[in-house]
Amino acid sequence: MTTRRFIVEPRGLASTGLILAVPLLSVLLAVIVGAIFLALTGNSPGEVYVKMLDVSFGSSRGISETLISATPLILTGVAAAVAFKMLVWNIGAEGQFLMGAIFAAGMGIWLGDGSPAAVALPLVIIAGAIGGAFWASISAVPKVYLGTNEIITTLMLNFIALNFMNYLIFGSSSPWRDPLVPQFPSGRPIPDSGRIPEFFNRLDYGFIVACLLAILAWFLISKTRWGFEVRVVGDSANTARYAGIGVPQKILGVFLMSGAFAGLAGSLYVAGPVGALDPRSLDLGLGFTGIIVAALARLNPVAVIPVAILMGALNNAGPALQSIQVPAATVTMLQGAILIFAVAGEFFIRNRVRRPEKRLEALEEVSAA
Amino acid sequence: MNLRNWRFLAILALALSLIAAACGGDDDETATTEASGGETETTAAPSGGDEEPLKVAFVHVGPVSDKGWSWAHDQGAKYLEANANVEVTTLESIPEGSDSQRVFEDLAADGNKLIFGTSFGYMEPMLAAAENYPDVVFEHATGFMSSENMGNYFGAAEEGRYLSGMAAGAATESNLIGYVAAFPIPEVLRGINAFTLGVREVKPEAQVQVVWTSTWFDPPVEKTAAESLLDAGADVIAMHQDSAAPGQAAEAAGAKWVGYNTDMTEFAETAWLTAPIWDWGPFYLKTTQEVAAGTWESAAYYGNIADGMVDLAPYGESVSDETIALIEERKQQIIDGTFSVLPDPIVDQDGNERELGDIFSMNYFVEGVIGSPTG
Repeated sequence: MTTRRFIVEPRGLASTGLILAVPLLSVLLAVIVGAIFLALTGNSPGEVYVKMLDVSFGSSRGISETLISATPLILTGVAAAVAFKMLVWNIGAEGQFLMGAIFAAGMGIWLGDGSPAAVALPLVIIAGAIGGAFWASISAVPKVYLGTNEIITTLMLNFIALNFMNYLIFGSSSPWRDPLVPQFPSGRPIPDSGRIPEFFNRLDYGFIVACLLAILAWFLISKTRWGFEVRVVGDSANTARYAGIGVPQKILGVFLMSGAFAGLAGSLYVAGPVGALDPRSLDLGLGFTGIIVAALARLNPVAVIPVAILMGALNNAGPALQSIQVPAATVTMLQGAILIFAVAGEFFIRNRVRRPEKRLEALEEVSAA
Repeated sequence: MNLRNWRFLAILALALSLIAAACGGDDDETATTEASGGETETTAAPSGGDEEPLKVAFVHVGPVSDKGWSWAHDQGAKYLEANANVEVTTLESIPEGSDSQRVFEDLAADGNKLIFGTSFGYMEPMLAAAENYPDVVFEHATGFMSSENMGNYFGAAEEGRYLSGMAAGAATESNLIGYVAAFPIPEVLRGINAFTLGVREVKPEAQVQVVWTSTWFDPPVEKTAAESLLDAGADVIAMHQDSAAPGQAAEAAGAKWVGYNTDMTEFAETAWLTAPIWDWGPFYLKTTQEVAAGTWESAAYYGNIADGMVDLAPYGESVSDETIALIEERKQQIIDGTFSVLPDPIVDQDGNERELGDIFSMNYFVEGVIGSPTG
């Protein structure tokens, strides 16, 4: 007798408690599975976890470093979240991040040291947003008007942006390159007036700006008429069309907004901790990690903030774990485990898993066993 | 008891066991922390009497298993461990750039008294970390910035490059040698120039063609670059890269190979000629002893063949005795100081004689190199 043992069905609206409980339980399970894995590979799980917490949150310097690492992830996370929410598959946050960094560094260098920070700094930051939106537009416009696949175009543009940055520093005597350092091709430092001031150890105000921007994104999507229309398009383009909403304009708007956020991540990063268009400091996959952050945050721009902080903490714990003899690969594995459990947890928020209602059948199985 | 209750009990039991496991983990952790603390003391005792071991840390850009640059430094760290009362921490695959400042500061905060950074891109982050931790000694390989508590060190790889170039010159029949190179920076240009001069001492009509990869360690990219040179007619491949991939490409094409960093014979036995290699151990030991004794002073150390920091790897089977004798003779002259691998004046790529200039900011190619010195 073949019967289905389990039935998976959509849950409809999940309760707030469930939405909070499942991610927490997912992280807990990841921690437990990670502990088993660590024990099997001859490491002490307790020591590893204590070290991770200690490095990322155990001191004021640890906390500030965690928030520094979280800052770009908040914005690349928001970039992915707002796009995915509307079924715009912008996986080009990496390239838009780099283009934002290129524009921001360019603006800082072009303005020079002469202009006051009150003028220079906003211009540098906005230049990044424009750079990111510009890079997104190369995918967005053909998608909206010609129906090209944005997954492919945004992905390919990531590599073009990366190579363009490398060209500016390694392959040419561009204004971005520092002429005073002949020993190695390096980025020209952004003048102090274009740099974001620090306020807590090495942490700069970019973190606060990123949090405010995330809240702004949430507000735009959840509380405005524009956001409402965007959500309608995301749920059903046909419904939106029927309701008289301009679907192409909405898709274009969200795509550019997504690119602008990724670009802002780039400008805050170069105007913050990096201070120059330095390929070695920027080619870290922060745009790609933003996609993971957005997925864990269930595409909620505000939830992106704590998730980005968690990812920043995990990132910073990596090298520290090596100092207690945990191999670099194991650290990556642990980070992967947390992601997989969180994604699995997402499934249980969306769906309900239950046994078939037939009591008798179930009883038979029990007695047979 | 009905089924629903059974299920509830089962889930409860599972949940409780998970919580117990989690708490168990916590107990473990205090136990192991103590245990590992104790362990450190016991390992310290036999090697150094009552002295606390000096905490020394190494930060590498690649994996120490690369059998190349990072591996060579790690061998030096192992030599240090075996010969001094130290507790060594090794971090591998740490990206260069501003993010690495945190890594250096974490190590300093962890009580390390001497920290080595073995890649160029750590320079500025390390300088910033050194400023924040004035009581810790920082040593940076291949850079040019220093401070009160940050020194730098490197070696005259060009001496080994010249000698390995002689082996390549003797081996080439097509008179075209391919050179897979990472970045167009003075260190790499210096190596290519010395190599080419070595090649042309033995085979004056031979040329060296350069391909840039923009990476220190990326085996597939290095392999592709080597293959493009082999396709262009090169029958010897040389490299300024950290993996053995160019050698494997040479072996597959039946060409010869001059490696770098370490003895990589095992990766391509037939292709192997020789390689300029590093021996960092004695420098690490000397520096550590100075820091332990409190006599360390910030300096720029430039090792060479004479002091053993740079050497030539064992020769491959195909290198003739005649060639070996020629190379060994030159090597002795270099050690004696009677031969300089980079002459002054020097003939550049366009055939014009020019002043050698500061070799640490060398930005030109010598005669015989095909390619652009700006990338």
